Amino acid sequence: MLADTWYLFNKFMKITIRMPMWTLFTLVQPLIWLVIFGQLFKNITQLPGFPTENYMDFFVPGVLIMTVLFGSSWSGVSLLREIQSGTVDKMLASPVSRVAIVLSRVLHSTAQVVAQVFIMLLVAWILGAQLNLNPIYLILTTLVIILLGLCFASVSNGFAIMLQREEPLVIIGNLMTLPLMFFSTALVPASFMPGWIEYISMANPINYAVEAVRAVLVGEPNLGAFVMPFIILLVVTGAALWWAVAAFNTLRD
Amino acid sequence: MIQVRALTKVFPQGPKAVDELDLTVNDGEILGLLGPNGAGKTTTIRVLSTLCGFDSGSVTVAGHDVDKEPEKVRQSIGLVAQNTGIDYFLTGRENLELQGQMYRMKKADIKTRIEELANYFELSDSLDRTVATYSGGMRRKLDIATALIHRPKLVFLDEPTLGLDIKSRKMLWNYIEKLNKEWGITILLTTHYLEEADKLADRVAIINAGQISVVDTPEALKNAISGDAISLSFEKRDAACQQYAAALQQNAHVKDLMWQGNNLHIYVDRGADCIPEITALATQHGARILTLGLSRPTLDDVFLRYTGTSMEGSADDGDSGDEWWKQWAGKGGGGKWEKQWSEGQQEGEGGDWQGNDWSQEGGGDWQGNDWSQASATDTNTAAEQPRPAQQDASAQPGQADKKPEQTTAATQSEADQSDAQDQKDWPRDSGKEWPNKQWPSDK
Repeated sequence: MLADTWYLFNKFMKITIRMPMWTLFTLVQPLIWLVIFGQLFKNITQLPGFPTENYMDFFVPGVLIMTVLFGSSWSGVSLLREIQSGTVDKMLASPVSRVAIVLSRVLHSTAQVVAQVFIMLLVAWILGAQLNLNPIYLILTTLVIILLGLCFASVSNGFAIMLQREEPLVIIGNLMTLPLMFFSTALVPASFMPGWIEYISMANPINYAVEAVRAVLVGEPNLGAFVMPFIILLVVTGAALWWAVAAFNTLRD
Repeated sequence: MIQVRALTKVFPQGPKAVDELDLTVNDGEILGLLGPNGAGKTTTIRVLSTLCGFDSGSVTVAGHDVDKEPEKVRQSIGLVAQNTGIDYFLTGRENLELQGQMYRMKKADIKTRIEELANYFELSDSLDRTVATYSGGMRRKLDIATALIHRPKLVFLDEPTLGLDIKSRKMLWNYIEKLNKEWGITILLTTHYLEEADKLADRVAIINAGQISVVDTPEALKNAISGDAISLSFEKRDAACQQYAAALQQNAHVKDLMWQGNNLHIYVDRGADCIPEITALATQHGARILTLGLSRPTLDDVFLRYTGTSMEGSADDGDSGDEWWKQWAGKGGGGKWEKQWSEGQQEGEGGDWQGNDWSQEGGGDWQGNDWSQASATDTNTAAEQPRPAQQDASAQPGQADKKPEQTTAATQSEADQSDAQDQKDWPRDSGKEWPNKQWPSDK
């Protein structure tokens, strides 16, 4: 199964590397967010109770998570394309592990977002964000990014198999990304939220990812504040992955 | 190699796609599964290749039960599905390599096998280009090559030449034939091209409405319909025509008679000798013949014999193997790419029948097409020609001009119907050319 996953993962990576433009395109939106929101909310830091002096410092974890969201939530679209083109059928007719087919795809999306996140980090650093560039904190950040990438790529693939069509999948993708982002502390701290949004945000995996990254990447590193959100994320991701594999196993009609 | 007993597969939203189907494929033969779209060909292939479960019956492939030991079945079969299962962004070599890895072959083995297959399919020069640059015929070749990478004993070819031009089609036929003869691979081939089944298959199984109607060698099937086939077409199947048909039935020369829409197929011993009598009889009954054709029986006639006139109806049932698409397609009445797909399909396959198969070769599947020749040939020369020739029934040159229009109109309405069908049966099995040319359908 691991070998199968590896070969398939390689295949996807080859395809991606042959089309670097696509990876770059998915970067455009977060970059725009980074610059525009960074400017737009610049003065919000003057409000009493805002945790950081520089809005950029506050916003970088949020925008990284947004990159993950936008990068991984469309993973299912390419699965649909492969189902339609017959590639998946051909794989299913071979003895290849079923789990590997999903896993390789999800891992590939994740690898892609990790690369994107590092580009974003670089840009943020150039724009003057104060980041903790200590390797340990970078590794912890990367772990969160990987988990979240796995989580949303799985969900997207799961929905792709359930819905079987591109249009509803895109709608779900939109529904998933934008509100989840606004119902989290990506843009503003929890203390600035109306009560009801704060409640919703407590059930939002994005929120925990943002919190975890924020705990280690900016300001005074706080491992205590990292652990809890990280564990929650771990559980959610595990469930999402399991769901995607289960959905794929029902593909045999 | 394959034993199928009483296989039944029902899709939740549709009627039975496969209904108590029995089929045996012997070691080393090419069996052609011939039938219209929606007859259950693809569903059968999907069940046999473990892609799809079934409701009842027993299926043994390469000595293993598909339900109990799918892994072992997968190891011994190669599948070439209707949609090419190759990656356009990878090179030919990478596609083959990946396929080898999927079958857990050793690295060195994959390498030698790629060489072998590339030589065989004459792909060596283009092996390191991405598939996106390949022509349709090359993609098909590569597709078949990937299915052979692990040296399967049995290969499923689901409409292998669908959408290819006649040159690529013939090239593929040669490869397929050689695979069977030289490499001893058993092949189960589905097709709705009569010519393809005739050329390739050792035995032909005619499938209709999820059941096998008959299995035999193409020769035996054609011989069962002895003599010549005369086909007449009428503007309308009115009372005069019915009386005429009844009168023909009484005629000593006429061995068999079959209506198919407004076309009447008459089977006689020596066609040319009977034509004057047949036309005289028509005049006598006031039935106005639009066109008249004479040919040796083809698989088309065989098909007509075994499936009667129910073809249109059976195509309606759809190869409902696509429940996941249908789920949405049914409600929305066809989404964005449903349309794109059928357009592409038209472009891709439209060229197929327009010039090649039948007009140039004369020996095409369906004898009513040689219009240009038709008006020039008279009764006697037609009789001398071994291959089907077309005749002008009333021998008036002026009328010859009208006939193509007549057909165009008929074809058009059939095309419309098949469009409507595409909406329902989309996507796997809705080849556009089928109702129009290969087997004119009954209405």
